[in-house]
Amino acid sequence: MELTTKAYKQTAKKAIADPILQSALAGLQSRLGPATASLYENLPEGPDLRAKAHAYRRKAVDNLDIMLVTLAGKIRENGGEVHFAATAKDAVDICLDIAEKNNVKHVVKGKSMVTEEIGLNRALMDKGIEVNETDLGEYIIQLAGEKPSHIVAPAVHKTRKEVGELFTEKLGTPYTDDPPTLTRDARQALRKKFMAADMGISGCNLACAETGHITTVSNEGNIRMATTLPRVHVAFMGMERIAANLEEHQAILRLMSMGAAAQQIGGYVSYIGGPAAVDHADGPQAFHLVIVDNGRSRILADEEFREMLCCIRCGACLNVCPVYGKIGGHSYGSAYTGPVGAVVTPLLGGINEASHLCQGESLCGACRVACPLNLNLPRMLLALRAKLSEGDPRWNVKPKSRPEKMLFQVWSRINQNRKVYDILLKLGRLIQKIMPSSNHMIRRLPWPFSGWTQSRDMKPLAGKTFMELWKEHQGGRS
Amino acid sequence: MDPEKQFINTIKTALGRPGNQPPADLFTTSPSQEEKTLLEKIRTRTHQERVPLIEQLRQTVPSLHMDLHLEAGIEEAARAIGRLILEKEPEWGTSKSVVCWDHPLINQLKLSEVAELGQIPIHNTGYDGTDPQRKKEIRSQVEASFIGITSADYCIAATATLAMKTRPGHARSVSLVPSIHVAVVREEQLLADLRELYTLLKWDEAERKEGLTRNLTLISGPSKTADIELVMVHGAHGPRELHLFIIAAD
Ligand code: SF4
Repeated sequence: MELTTKAYKQTAKKAIADPILQSALAGLQSRLGPATASLYENLPEGPDLRAKAHAYRRKAVDNLDIMLVTLAGKIRENGGEVHFAATAKDAVDICLDIAEKNNVKHVVKGKSMVTEEIGLNRALMDKGIEVNETDLGEYIIQLAGEKPSHIVAPAVHKTRKEVGELFTEKLGTPYTDDPPTLTRDARQALRKKFMAADMGISGCNLACAETGHITTVSNEGNIRMATTLPRVHVAFMGMERIAANLEEHQAILRLMSMGAAAQQIGGYVSYIGGPAAVDHADGPQAFHLVIVDNGRSRILADEEFREMLCCIRCGACLNVCPVYGKIGGHSYGSAYTGPVGAVVTPLLGGINEASHLCQGESLCGACRVACPLNLNLPRMLLALRAKLSEGDPRWNVKPKSRPEKMLFQVWSRINQNRKVYDILLKLGRLIQKIMPSSNHMIRRLPWPFSGWTQSRDMKPLAGKTFMELWKEHQGGRS
Repeated sequence: MDPEKQFINTIKTALGRPGNQPPADLFTTSPSQEEKTLLEKIRTRTHQERVPLIEQLRQTVPSLHMDLHLEAGIEEAARAIGRLILEKEPEWGTSKSVVCWDHPLINQLKLSEVAELGQIPIHNTGYDGTDPQRKKEIRSQVEASFIGITSADYCIAATATLAMKTRPGHARSVSLVPSIHVAVVREEQLLADLRELYTLLKWDEAERKEGLTRNLTLISGPSKTADIELVMVHGAHGPRELHLFIIAAD
């Protein structure tokens, strides 16, 4: 996975200073956040459904071997082919091989996060294959050479003016900033691509083991186009995206639609269980499912993070996160943005490499409330921070900052010894007198604490501690 | 070891199997009492009991940007669809053609006999699986048509969802590629909500026998996107309009 988390702070700074992005993010959050919450409140089965769905996901993950074997068996019975890819490279190679055997020149893609994760587009293009993203948002950012900034609305950071200029430049259409006209321009351009494509690539929102189907969900219909018109369909699936049976599947699927776009159910939901039969008038002649591990089995093996494999990438947590709402998706440095990205990106791409992400989140808990499955992201963010401070050979984590750790060790010693604590307190009261202050607030602390007062004032230590006051008032009685 | 075995073994190791044995109830085995009752309710639903479903559908369709047409019978539906074909303008090019499923209900409309339609070609997607040339022809007719007419297995009132399994003659692209999708169902095919749909799919004998087929699609409204500044636009890649015709029970 390509990570650019090193630039976290710079990218975030730029995002915060960009008034257009700020209003786009605010608009997105104010529209989707509350709408999703109100759907949860009115679930026909009652609010318990979310806890149940969490348990369904957990059950599937806890029995993932059986789930995948069952799914693969059914799909093969129906004439589909199933491939297992341990790494990103394996997954890419499998796809390149299918493309070569089928003499593929033109690919149309439905939005899929796992193909972003494994870097599929680049690899296909390097082989001289034309690849077109077809989700309108993905198409826009592909034309612009950018990265998605939201799971469901990948181009939320672009204004209609920017899209208009982009289309004029890349598609040669007359300039307009009217979203319906722009949508129509893209519709026209992509329609030709759909008709000409010999391979369609999709992700998989959630497979159903018992029936042997993957499901794809879209509102635009682009995924149906990509999986109906070309002669070959290749679907990529993160190995954890599966439910055991139809009852559990439908509950999770509905919750996903609520979380993703505040809908009861996505506009187009397709259960795909194989290629078209010989007597079908249309549909792909070949269907391949590529099941991808790429670091997921390591998450599975760690009880602390296994819960994260229950995530269905709906994006609901982005729509309420105060941090995402300010710094935007690009700061997260991978396809997975927002709170989900802050947990998943380090787990897949390296905890040290993506250390900024879990440290940047506020731990306010809004994501957990908004998550249709009530996944405990704050707990996992804390667990990641603990790994960063303690180090963990199992995850190849080196402790992030030794001085910081030592400082806290000293602090804990001081706290355990009343006498030392009191002496230092007195010393502090003396020193603070010479700190620059105004309005009874300390304005600046010396290094190494200067960062603390960079953008806020600090309250000085009180003249007397609570314990001292207590003693005075009670005459020493406890 | 082959990659598949290795892949599954990695998962087994991560899960700590053996030792940790799988529970017996991973998959469904029999319907609950509640589901049995629901099945019975769907099977014995009367015309009177469907009135509220139609009312609910009427309330749901506007927010999904769908058009609902309630018709007294097949002939009325055929005339109304004929008018639609005449009134609407093609999105690509100027000539009009229509493509229909090869389906008993759609065939009963006898659109090619509607006099007003005159020279407008009405294709259908009947195919017996033997002639690849015919398959190519179907594809180009679907691409050229501005209206596609399908039926559906069920229509769900609460969410205005059409459920369609894939079968010979019922080309999937008819509900997808033409600019306008017309779906015709009988009132008897109405269900109250998604729960009823899934209960049928899981437990109705005929449904179980058939399975979900290679492709089950649920359609709720025409194609839409809000990817440019969150402005809702209909007709992103699929149909721009979806007209739902319900034919009253006789
Ligand atoms: S963590 Fe929850 S809310 Fe966030 S993407 Fe995953 S399932 Fe959706």
